[in-house]
Amino acid sequence: MTLKQLLALPVLVVWHGLFWTFERTTWQYDLMVIAILAFVWVTPPGWLSDPMADGPGLIGLITQLFR
Amino acid sequence: MTLTGTIGAICLFPLRNIIRISVALGIHPNVLTLTGVVINAGAGWALAMGHFETAGFVMLLANIFDFIDGKVADELNLSSRFGGFWDSVMDRFSDLFLLIGLIYLYASLGHTDYVLITALTLMFSVMTSYARARAESIIEQCKVGFMERPERIVLFMIGAFTNRMAAVLWVILVLSVLTVLDRIYFTWRELRSTDDEATV
Repeated sequence: MTLKQLLALPVLVVWHGLFWTFERTTWQYDLMVIAILAFVWVTPPGWLSDPMADGPGLIGLITQLFR
Repeated sequence: MTLTGTIGAICLFPLRNIIRISVALGIHPNVLTLTGVVINAGAGWALAMGHFETAGFVMLLANIFDFIDGKVADELNLSSRFGGFWDSVMDRFSDLFLLIGLIYLYASLGHTDYVLITALTLMFSVMTSYARARAESIIEQCKVGFMERPERIVLFMIGAFTNRMAAVLWVILVLSVLTVLDRIYFTWRELRSTDDEATV
Protein backbone atom coordinates (compact mmCIF):
# COMPACT_ATOMS: atom_id res chain seq x y z
CA MET A 1 0.00 0.00 0.00
CA THR A 2 1.42 3.38 -1.01
CA LEU A 3 1.42 6.46 1.25
CA LYS A 4 -1.18 8.06 -1.01
CA GLN A 5 -3.48 5.05 -0.60
CA LEU A 6 -2.88 5.02 3.15
CA LEU A 7 -3.79 8.70 3.45
CA ALA A 8 -6.92 8.14 1.37
CA LEU A 9 -8.06 5.27 3.61
CA PRO A 10 -9.92 7.35 6.26
CA VAL A 11 -11.71 9.28 3.50
CA LEU A 12 -12.67 5.98 1.89
CA VAL A 13 -13.97 4.59 5.20
CA VAL A 14 -16.09 7.71 5.82
CA TRP A 15 -17.38 7.66 2.22
CA HIS A 16 -18.41 3.99 2.45
CA GLY A 17 -20.06 4.69 5.82
CA LEU A 18 -22.09 7.54 4.33
CA PHE A 19 -22.81 6.00 0.94
CA TRP A 20 -23.83 2.56 2.14
CA THR A 21 -23.77 -0.20 -0.50
CA PHE A 22 -22.96 -3.25 1.64
CA GLU A 23 -25.35 -6.18 1.96
CA ARG A 24 -26.57 -7.62 5.26
CA THR A 25 -24.42 -10.32 6.88
CA THR A 26 -21.13 -8.79 5.76
CA TRP A 27 -18.38 -7.76 8.19
CA GLN A 28 -19.01 -4.11 7.31
CA TYR A 29 -22.68 -4.56 8.31
CA ASP A 30 -21.60 -6.23 11.57
CA LEU A 31 -19.32 -3.28 12.31
CA MET A 32 -22.13 -0.79 11.71
CA VAL A 33 -24.49 -2.79 13.96
CA ILE A 34 -21.88 -2.85 16.76
CA ALA A 35 -21.35 0.91 16.41
CA ILE A 36 -25.11 1.56 16.57
CA LEU A 37 -25.63 -0.70 19.60
CA ALA A 38 -22.67 0.93 21.34
CA PHE A 39 -24.22 4.36 20.77
CA VAL A 40 -27.65 3.22 21.99
CA TRP A 41 -26.47 1.42 25.11
CA VAL A 42 -23.36 3.35 26.08
CA THR A 43 -24.54 6.96 25.68
CA PRO A 44 -25.92 8.31 28.98
CA PRO A 45 -29.63 9.06 28.43
CA GLY A 46 -29.10 12.44 30.10
CA TRP A 47 -26.87 13.55 27.22
CA LEU A 48 -29.81 13.04 24.86
CA SER A 49 -32.38 14.42 27.36
CA ASP A 50 -34.25 11.11 27.05
CA PRO A 51 -37.64 11.71 28.69
CA MET A 52 -38.28 8.03 29.43
CA ALA A 53 -34.97 6.26 30.10
CA ASP A 54 -33.79 5.47 33.59
CA GLY A 55 -30.28 4.63 34.73
CA PRO A 56 -27.09 6.40 33.72
CA GLY A 57 -26.02 4.15 30.83
CA LEU A 58 -22.60 2.53 30.53
CA ILE A 59 -20.56 5.76 30.22
CA GLY A 60 -22.52 7.23 33.14
CA LEU A 61 -21.79 4.15 35.26
CA ILE A 62 -18.06 4.31 34.47
CA THR A 63 -17.83 8.03 35.23
CA GLN A 64 -19.71 7.45 38.50
CA LEU A 65 -17.17 4.77 39.38
CA PHE A 66 -14.23 7.16 38.99
CA ARG A 67 -15.84 10.07 40.86
CA MET B 1 -20.29 -16.62 9.14
CA THR B 2 -20.80 -13.07 10.33
CA LEU B 3 -22.25 -12.04 13.71
CA THR B 4 -25.51 -10.76 12.22
CA GLY B 5 -25.73 -13.86 10.00
CA THR B 6 -25.47 -16.11 13.06
CA ILE B 7 -28.13 -14.14 14.96
CA GLY B 8 -30.38 -14.32 11.88
CA ALA B 9 -29.94 -18.09 11.60
CA ILE B 10 -30.76 -18.56 15.31
CA CYS B 11 -33.92 -16.41 14.99
CA LEU B 12 -34.99 -18.26 11.86
CA PHE B 13 -35.07 -21.61 13.68
CA PRO B 14 -38.31 -21.07 15.71
CA LEU B 15 -39.84 -19.12 12.83
CA ARG B 16 -39.60 -22.17 10.58
CA ASN B 17 -42.09 -23.99 12.84
CA ILE B 18 -44.49 -21.03 12.78
CA ILE B 19 -44.24 -20.96 8.97
CA ARG B 20 -44.92 -24.71 8.88
CA ILE B 21 -48.03 -24.30 11.09
CA SER B 22 -49.34 -21.40 8.98
CA VAL B 23 -48.84 -23.43 5.81
CA ALA B 24 -50.58 -26.46 7.35
CA LEU B 25 -53.54 -24.26 8.36
CA GLY B 26 -53.55 -22.73 4.86
CA ILE B 27 -53.69 -19.18 6.19
CA HIS B 28 -53.62 -16.68 3.31
CA PRO B 29 -50.42 -14.57 3.44
CA ASN B 30 -52.37 -11.33 2.96
CA VAL B 31 -54.30 -12.15 6.15
CA LEU B 32 -50.99 -12.66 7.97
CA THR B 33 -49.80 -9.26 6.71
CA LEU B 34 -52.98 -7.56 7.91
CA THR B 35 -52.78 -9.33 11.28
CA GLY B 36 -49.25 -7.97 11.69
CA VAL B 37 -50.46 -4.41 11.08
CA VAL B 38 -53.35 -4.74 13.55
CA ILE B 39 -50.95 -6.04 16.21
CA ASN B 40 -48.51 -3.23 15.42
CA ALA B 41 -51.33 -0.75 16.04
CA GLY B 42 -51.47 -2.28 19.53
CA ALA B 43 -47.71 -1.72 19.87
CA GLY B 44 -48.23 1.91 18.86
CA TRP B 45 -50.85 2.24 21.61
CA ALA B 46 -48.49 0.67 24.18
CA LEU B 47 -45.75 3.12 23.13
CA ALA B 48 -48.20 6.01 23.42
CA MET B 49 -49.00 4.91 26.99
CA GLY B 50 -45.28 4.64 27.79
CA HIS B 51 -45.41 0.86 28.30
CA PHE B 52 -42.19 0.17 26.44
CA GLU B 53 -41.67 -3.45 27.52
CA THR B 54 -45.22 -4.39 26.52
CA ALA B 55 -44.71 -2.54 23.24
CA GLY B 56 -41.51 -4.53 22.67
CA PHE B 57 -43.32 -7.86 23.09
CA VAL B 58 -46.24 -6.76 20.92
CA MET B 59 -43.82 -5.55 18.21
CA LEU B 60 -42.03 -8.89 18.38
CA LEU B 61 -45.32 -10.73 17.85
CA ALA B 62 -46.42 -8.38 15.05
CA ASN B 63 -43.15 -8.75 13.22
CA ILE B 64 -43.35 -12.54 13.31
CA PHE B 65 -46.45 -12.18 11.11
CA ASP B 66 -44.70 -9.57 9.02
CA PHE B 67 -41.70 -11.83 8.51
CA ILE B 68 -43.51 -15.06 7.72
CA ASP B 69 -46.10 -13.73 5.23
CA GLY B 70 -43.70 -13.83 2.27
CA LYS B 71 -42.38 -17.28 3.21
CA VAL B 72 -45.91 -18.67 3.62
CA ALA B 73 -46.87 -17.16 0.24
CA ASP B 74 -43.93 -18.99 -1.36
CA GLU B 75 -44.80 -22.30 0.33
CA LEU B 76 -48.47 -22.07 -0.67
CA ASN B 77 -47.64 -20.85 -4.17
CA LEU B 78 -49.66 -17.73 -3.48
CA SER B 79 -46.94 -15.18 -4.29
CA SER B 80 -48.42 -12.40 -6.38
CA ARG B 81 -47.65 -8.87 -7.45
CA PHE B 82 -50.66 -7.67 -5.46
CA GLY B 83 -49.28 -9.50 -2.40
CA GLY B 84 -46.02 -7.56 -2.73
CA PHE B 85 -47.91 -4.28 -3.09
CA TRP B 86 -50.21 -5.09 -0.14
CA ASP B 87 -47.19 -5.99 2.02
CA SER B 88 -45.41 -2.70 1.22
CA VAL B 89 -48.49 -0.59 1.92
CA MET B 90 -49.22 -2.40 5.19
CA ASP B 91 -45.56 -1.98 6.25
CA ARG B 92 -45.92 1.79 5.96
CA PHE B 93 -49.01 1.67 8.21
CA SER B 94 -47.07 -0.38 10.76
CA ASP B 95 -44.21 2.15 10.82
CA LEU B 96 -46.65 5.03 11.15
CA PHE B 97 -48.55 3.40 14.03
CA LEU B 98 -45.34 3.03 16.05
CA LEU B 99 -44.07 6.54 15.38
CA ILE B 100 -47.45 8.20 15.96
CA GLY B 101 -47.59 6.33 19.28
CA LEU B 102 -44.25 7.88 20.25
CA ILE B 103 -45.33 11.35 19.08
CA TYR B 104 -48.40 11.04 21.33
CA LEU B 105 -46.23 9.92 24.25
CA TYR B 106 -43.70 12.75 23.96
CA ALA B 107 -46.46 15.30 23.37
CA SER B 108 -48.27 14.15 26.51
CA LEU B 109 -44.99 14.46 28.46
CA GLY B 110 -44.54 18.00 27.12
CA HIS B 111 -41.29 17.15 25.30
CA THR B 112 -41.71 19.12 22.09
CA ASP B 113 -38.06 18.42 21.19
CA TYR B 114 -38.76 14.70 20.92
CA VAL B 115 -42.10 15.33 19.22
CA LEU B 116 -40.08 17.06 16.49
CA ILE B 117 -37.38 14.36 16.37
CA THR B 118 -40.03 11.62 16.11
CA ALA B 119 -41.93 13.55 13.44
CA LEU B 120 -38.72 13.94 11.42
CA THR B 121 -38.00 10.23 11.90
CA LEU B 122 -41.50 9.50 10.59
CA MET B 123 -40.94 11.75 7.58
CA PHE B 124 -37.60 10.21 6.63
CA SER B 125 -38.78 6.63 7.30
CA VAL B 126 -41.55 7.15 4.75
CA MET B 127 -39.18 8.96 2.36
CA THR B 128 -36.69 6.06 2.54
CA SER B 129 -39.33 3.71 1.15
CA TYR B 130 -40.75 6.26 -1.29
CA ALA B 131 -37.31 7.12 -2.70
CA ARG B 132 -36.61 3.46 -3.45
CA ALA B 133 -40.06 2.76 -4.89
CA ARG B 134 -39.91 5.83 -7.14
CA ALA B 135 -36.30 5.14 -8.16
CA GLU B 136 -37.13 1.57 -9.12
CA SER B 137 -39.82 2.85 -11.47
CA ILE B 138 -37.07 4.49 -13.57
CA ILE B 139 -33.97 2.37 -12.83
CA GLU B 140 -33.63 -1.36 -12.28
CA GLN B 141 -32.67 -1.42 -8.61
CA CYS B 142 -31.99 1.12 -5.87
CA LYS B 143 -30.86 -0.96 -2.93
CA VAL B 144 -28.44 1.42 -1.25
CA GLY B 145 -28.47 2.97 2.22
CA PHE B 146 -28.33 1.25 5.59
CA MET B 147 -31.64 2.09 7.25
CA GLU B 148 -34.29 -0.15 5.74
CA ARG B 149 -37.41 -1.48 7.46
CA PRO B 150 -35.90 -4.56 9.16
CA GLU B 151 -33.17 -2.40 10.73
CA ARG B 152 -35.79 0.12 11.85
CA ILE B 153 -37.97 -2.54 13.44
CA VAL B 154 -35.11 -4.28 15.26
CA LEU B 155 -33.94 -0.91 16.57
CA PHE B 156 -37.46 -0.06 17.78
CA MET B 157 -37.57 -3.36 19.67
CA ILE B 158 -34.12 -2.76 21.19
CA GLY B 159 -35.22 0.75 22.20
CA ALA B 160 -38.41 -0.59 23.76
CA PHE B 161 -36.89 -3.55 25.61
CA THR B 162 -33.90 -1.63 26.97
CA ASN B 163 -35.73 1.70 27.47
CA ARG B 164 -33.37 3.60 25.20
CA MET B 165 -35.92 4.93 22.72
CA ALA B 166 -34.44 8.42 22.42
CA ALA B 167 -31.04 7.08 21.31
CA VAL B 168 -32.79 4.73 18.89
CA LEU B 169 -34.79 7.60 17.40
CA TRP B 170 -31.60 9.60 16.83
CA VAL B 171 -29.97 6.62 15.09
CA ILE B 172 -33.00 5.95 12.90
CA LEU B 173 -33.33 9.64 12.02
CA VAL B 174 -29.69 10.23 11.08
CA LEU B 175 -29.36 6.97 9.12
CA SER B 176 -32.72 7.48 7.38
CA VAL B 177 -31.61 10.94 6.19
CA LEU B 178 -28.40 9.35 4.87
CA THR B 179 -30.36 6.53 3.21
CA VAL B 180 -32.62 9.00 1.38
CA LEU B 181 -29.57 10.98 0.24
CA ASP B 182 -27.84 7.75 -0.86
CA ARG B 183 -30.86 6.79 -2.94
CA ILE B 184 -31.12 10.22 -4.56
CA TYR B 185 -27.39 10.21 -5.39
CA PHE B 186 -27.44 6.61 -6.64
CA THR B 187 -30.46 7.25 -8.91
CA TRP B 188 -28.89 10.45 -10.27
CA ARG B 189 -25.64 8.57 -10.99
CA GLU B 190 -27.43 5.66 -12.68
CA LEU B 191 -29.58 7.94 -14.82
CA ARG B 192 -26.59 10.09 -15.78
CA SER B 193 -24.64 7.03 -16.94
CA THR B 194 -27.60 5.73 -19.02
CA ASP B 195 -28.18 9.22 -20.44
CA ASP B 196 -24.49 9.44 -21.38
CA GLU B 197 -24.70 6.04 -23.09
CA ALA B 198 -27.79 7.16 -25.01
CA THR B 199 -26.06 10.31 -26.31
CA VAL B 200 -22.92 8.45 -27.50
